[in-house]
Amino acid sequence: MSYLVGIDVGGTNTNAVLLKNDVVLATAKAATDHKHLHLGTMQAIASVLKFVPDSVDKPIELHLSTTLATNAVVEGKGAPTAAVIIPGPGLRWEELGLAFKLFPVKGYIDHRGREQAPLDHNQLEEVLAEIKQSGFEAVAVIGKFSPRNLQHELEVEELVTRKFPELLPVTLGHRLSGRLNFPRRITTAVLNASIAKIQAKFVSMVQEVKDRYNLGRIYLLKADGGGIDMKVSITRPIETILSGPAASLMATMALVEEIGDAVVLDIGGTTTEISLFYRGEPLTERDGAEIAGFATLVPALFSRSLGLGGDSAVNYDGHKVSIGPWREGPPVALGGPRVTPTDAVVALGAANIGDQERAIQALKEMGACYEIDPIIMAKKIVTAFSLKAAEAINEIYISLNSRPVYTVSQVMAGENLKPDRLIGMGGPAAYFIPKIAEQMGLPFTVLPYHEAANAIGAAASRPTVATTLRADTALGKLVVPELDYVANIPRPLLFNLEAARREAIAKTITYAEQMGTLFEPSEIEVTEEEVFNMVRGFHMVGKNYTLTTQVKPQVRRIKKHRDEMGEDSE
Amino acid sequence: MSSKTTVGLVFFPAFDWAISPDHPEREERLLYTRDQILEEGLFDLPEIEEYRPQIASLQDIERAHICVPSAQEVITESHLIAAGGTMTAGELVLSGKTKRAFALLRPPGHHAMRVVHGSRGFCTINIEAVLIEYLRKLHGGKFRCAIVDTDAHHADGTQDIYYNDPDILHISIHQDGRTLYPGTGAMDELGGPGAYGTLINLPLPPGSGDAELLYATEQLVLPLLQDFKPDLIINAAGQDNHFTDPLTNMNITAQGYARMTELLSPDVVVLEGGYSIEGALPYVNVGIILALAGLDYTGVIEPELPQKLIDNQGRLREEVVSNVGYLQEVWSRRKEKDLDLVFGDKEYVQRKRRIYYDTDNISEHQSEEIKRCPSCSGCRRVYSIAERHYGRLVKIGAVLIPWHACRNCRHEAEEAYQQLTTEEGLDHIYLHDPEGKQGDEG
Ligand SMILES: [Zn+2]
Ligand SMILES: [Zn+2]
Repeated sequence: MSYLVGIDVGGTNTNAVLLKNDVVLATAKAATDHKHLHLGTMQAIASVLKFVPDSVDKPIELHLSTTLATNAVVEGKGAPTAAVIIPGPGLRWEELGLAFKLFPVKGYIDHRGREQAPLDHNQLEEVLAEIKQSGFEAVAVIGKFSPRNLQHELEVEELVTRKFPELLPVTLGHRLSGRLNFPRRITTAVLNASIAKIQAKFVSMVQEVKDRYNLGRIYLLKADGGGIDMKVSITRPIETILSGPAASLMATMALVEEIGDAVVLDIGGTTTEISLFYRGEPLTERDGAEIAGFATLVPALFSRSLGLGGDSAVNYDGHKVSIGPWREGPPVALGGPRVTPTDAVVALGAANIGDQERAIQALKEMGACYEIDPIIMAKKIVTAFSLKAAEAINEIYISLNSRPVYTVSQVMAGENLKPDRLIGMGGPAAYFIPKIAEQMGLPFTVLPYHEAANAIGAAASRPTVATTLRADTALGKLVVPELDYVANIPRPLLFNLEAARREAIAKTITYAEQMGTLFEPSEIEVTEEEVFNMVRGFHMVGKNYTLTTQVKPQVRRIKKHRDEMGEDSE
Repeated sequence: MSSKTTVGLVFFPAFDWAISPDHPEREERLLYTRDQILEEGLFDLPEIEEYRPQIASLQDIERAHICVPSAQEVITESHLIAAGGTMTAGELVLSGKTKRAFALLRPPGHHAMRVVHGSRGFCTINIEAVLIEYLRKLHGGKFRCAIVDTDAHHADGTQDIYYNDPDILHISIHQDGRTLYPGTGAMDELGGPGAYGTLINLPLPPGSGDAELLYATEQLVLPLLQDFKPDLIINAAGQDNHFTDPLTNMNITAQGYARMTELLSPDVVVLEGGYSIEGALPYVNVGIILALAGLDYTGVIEPELPQKLIDNQGRLREEVVSNVGYLQEVWSRRKEKDLDLVFGDKEYVQRKRRIYYDTDNISEHQSEEIKRCPSCSGCRRVYSIAERHYGRLVKIGAVLIPWHACRNCRHEAEEAYQQLTTEEGLDHIYLHDPEGKQGDEG
């Protein structure tokens, strides 16, 4: 018997669920205390732990989804952070348009990871002194092509340790991502450094909770729907942004029997969040998460926000109903200023919210000068809502299917992502999802509202890690940036794709182990793989390999206690 | 799509296609360029948007070429994508989706001539010509275009296709043909009787660099473009004129190329050659993209840039100055030229050429007859015999009707084609008619 607690620290409430294996035993909630996030957490934990029999002596695992990092980034509450960058030649760093304090230092690593110019240590020391003097509280270090050669970033860290220890810890870009994208790496590292102290404080508070209730491992939910050991999150807090949307998708995966190629709509008051599944797996962002206008390299589940919700403002010009993207207040039925899609649903008698008479009256006024009956008006609005959602979904698929690809075989094969079902959640979903599904000719499922859904999502998550391996046999060098791993390839001629895969998988296992989780090789998968012959002057001089390896994403299937699974169309 | 988008980038590195494993035109060619573009974060810039190439149809190919025996037989899928991606770049600009577009893709095409028996100079399909013929068809022939080819090699394929086409201005700036493949592109190659002066060749002496390229751009290319007023300007942007290129002897830098791009401000840029895949392409391409986007490119410096080139900046070869002067003169007097002095006074101009396909080892003998017509650029009759290295001969006959053909020429061409159908010894016959049906095979 294994017990597990999932917690979602939301904007208003902190929800908890207690799982016994795959069954929800209990749920609880407490008010979120924004100054002391751990207090609500503690209260919610205490409420569900009552349901654990005394005979259980094994420490209980805790999975936590919190808006801490998201809020810190969105509200700009991070510490003042200096970014030491080693931009080398190329697009001038002044042109990057990044809203951070950038301190360039001379040094140059090229696209294959060769040092073309050494790091200027004198200049670096001056820069660090200036950073210290200016009162920055955090430092991030990012070099162009640093995932191909970690040396310069490590040299900066070494100098900080030796001469400016009060600036520690520093965030090094290459440890956060092995992907190539210097501006995104700067953003990711700076945000990470800026919220590290907030994260550390939170972790130490949760640590108290842990000690008090004798809990086992604690994982925080990441933007990619996986978990990260709480202690490790202190050095990589940026990975825990956007855990809310991730929790809701993980809950969907945990609760819905067959996901297939579903499109998931989370319909709220102002917006609808659209996510996609392909063969049962959630789609991920190609480059990384975007948050509050920051483009990062943080692995994240794919999601697009549409300005369309139950409270969106509705307009009618005699020909066309337009909805959103703004909200001007609650529905008229609830005393709001302007007709909303919810009013249409209320007027049609399909939902029992507020004052139906007022909704009908408002619709009557809206259609009056065009002599349109309020019920017809309501139907027009519902149709316009469904159309807008269906069109947005369509556009997302078109844009995904026209994403650039780089091989002849991929172009010739074409992309053929298409949805095979609709899954809906959120307040207005029950009414609109069937209409959108009809519009798109798809079967649908509506997940009934569940207060603890995000807590279930957190509980359903499993730890994930990913690494990037770059091997260049012409240079005889192998690098796994996330791990600070650099090695010579002893016998380059014998190094082949099999060896690269073995090495990449082994390194992911090592990395996961460092982060506190043991995995078997069978639990690791290679997600991206590139091999190129390198020919110079008509002779093959070597090969270069780039592999991305990760723990296979998994989700704990969960049966909801005494609740039915939701209403299906078929 | 952001309204700030100024450059549509159709990037297609064809990572799974090579002429042969150790050929310069191999999988690896645009790998380091890809890495540089990704690491610079160019796709995230609001000025730049990446697009997937479309797949050209066989009909798109046959609009530009006479493929022997057929388009299907001579091309691979990679050619359909490279040609299609170039079409995508053109569409982006003409539809107003982006201000400019860059078809950064392979395989290249500017050595592919009108008649295609196989691959020469790494090229099978002339991707610029496929784009131009597509756009002309779209606009019912009312479309004039200028191609500025800055590849180190003479663009003999594009020149061949537009040899007698007055609506297309083709300017090739290349390393002197006496010192480099394919050997052609001398200053006296100025086009056929129906398009005299719309082919301009500026050979640069080996060793020429930024100073010469920029001088030619400012003093020759820009004035000609201003005069010609094309609907579209294409830069066939080969990068084998870079100082690190293994196949040539030129000294262009990324800075020089970017500055040239800025001066020229082409609507569409198409990658051609360029085989210094680590030392040149990542930097030159980033420089071109930034210049097209109107961003600061002055930081794009190659690691191997020799002091010698920096020191030589601004020093200009006299020979280039005088050649540019000569061509300016040719251009301004092209309409007064007595063409009898160039082509003789007969009604039909005869041309005989031997064309070698280095990549596929094919020898072609071509003889051609161009009608000198006062009302249009004149119909043409072509005979071509190709000999493959294993000795089999293929003989074809073709009749070419020009855009805007006069009634006489059209009639004459149709009769000539009828005559071809009865002629002995031809393996294939073709009627090339851009305004009507095309690619009929006998
Ligand atoms: Zn070339
Ligand atoms: Zn005529």
